[in-house]
Amino acid sequence: MPSRLQQYCLLSLTTLFALVLPIEVFAHGVDDNTRAFLQQNTGIQIIPFLYIGAKHMVTGYDHLLFLVGVLFFLYRGRDVLLYVSMFTLGHSLTLLFGVISNIQVNAYLIDAIIGLSVVYKGFDNLGGFKQLFGKSPNAKLAVLIFGLFHGFGLATKLQEFQLPEDGLITNLIAFNVGVELGQFTALAFILLMINFWRKHSSFNHFATSTNCLLMSAGFMLMGFQLTGYFIN
Amino acid sequence: MQQQTITLTKATLLKYTLFSIAFAAITLVTIILPAEYNIDPTGVGHALGLTVFNSVEAEKISTVLSQKEAEKNKGIAKTIDIMVPAHSGVEYKFTMQQHKKLSYLWLTNGAALYFDLHGEPEGDTTGYFESYAIATSNRMEGSFTTPFTGVHGWYWKNTSENPVTVQLTVKGDYATHGLK
Repeated sequence: MPSRLQQYCLLSLTTLFALVLPIEVFAHGVDDNTRAFLQQNTGIQIIPFLYIGAKHMVTGYDHLLFLVGVLFFLYRGRDVLLYVSMFTLGHSLTLLFGVISNIQVNAYLIDAIIGLSVVYKGFDNLGGFKQLFGKSPNAKLAVLIFGLFHGFGLATKLQEFQLPEDGLITNLIAFNVGVELGQFTALAFILLMINFWRKHSSFNHFATSTNCLLMSAGFMLMGFQLTGYFIN
Repeated sequence: MQQQTITLTKATLLKYTLFSIAFAAITLVTIILPAEYNIDPTGVGHALGLTVFNSVEAEKISTVLSQKEAEKNKGIAKTIDIMVPAHSGVEYKFTMQQHKKLSYLWLTNGAALYFDLHGEPEGDTTGYFESYAIATSNRMEGSFTTPFTGVHGWYWKNTSENPVTVQLTVKGDYATHGLK
């Protein structure tokens, strides 16, 4: 790993601690203060929207699980960058498109699909697709599709607040960039831990059980969200 | 680039997959669903004490807590600034028990706003509300006593080109307050 990346990792680590010290982890929910801001804001508010986007990413446990799955066997800087670009492309498209054209998708279903993506990645890491079909599905394509769904989820959440038209596009772009910053921070943190762990023999010993548990967590997310869908 | 993976035999893969599903199912049924939705088919959630989040006792506790909160707020005047964006409406509500009193004074930074001071009964799903006052003004002072337990407060509508700030001062028996 290049030393610049390591430096960034350390910097992000510090930032991350500052961000999550008042620990507030919620999947795709929006807390009360953010809600109040979203409903009252007017005009262009770049920094607050950047922050909300970043916070959404850093505190979303379902997204963090997916990242752990994707990065488990991916550590070269170039691959990581490629992955991030695919995800960005996916969620930017559907977030902007969703809000502008007023498309709302059921949040429980979107979150269940995100759970499914965790299952997919765990199973893929276990070599499941290779064993059954002879090869893994295209990881970059999968990340792009996951990004598309994630963007729709965000679009639905944001529309619940009936954001004012004034400055909407700029605010959305700021939110999107914030999602990227949060993504980079989370990515750096997870990379740092996985790359550290990879140097120890326990990595290979526990690789199978870790991915098995990851898959299980994905099933839990799916069950949790689908139950929510059916009873609400 | 071929993605690196773990290599397992079909039998081992099946074993791990089944384990992950079984583990998820057990955790969901015994822990997550009882705690999140109060769905507890096995009774394990209740035995573990995880259904408290949704039970009647929890409601009782929260009522007691909100009454304590109300006692605390009773004698203290509180001032809140509420921004009503251009061409939109904002609701600011206070959670109050039945037959409690709230004294208020609100004024805007100039512009007059259409408002509806009203209450919505707790647990109502029909959208019913009772209006205590409807007018257009830049200032109002008074008090009301709640006819029922629920949320009570203002809807302000700003039809102008500029955001308007409402400065609201209240004193009374409310538990929580906030934008709705």
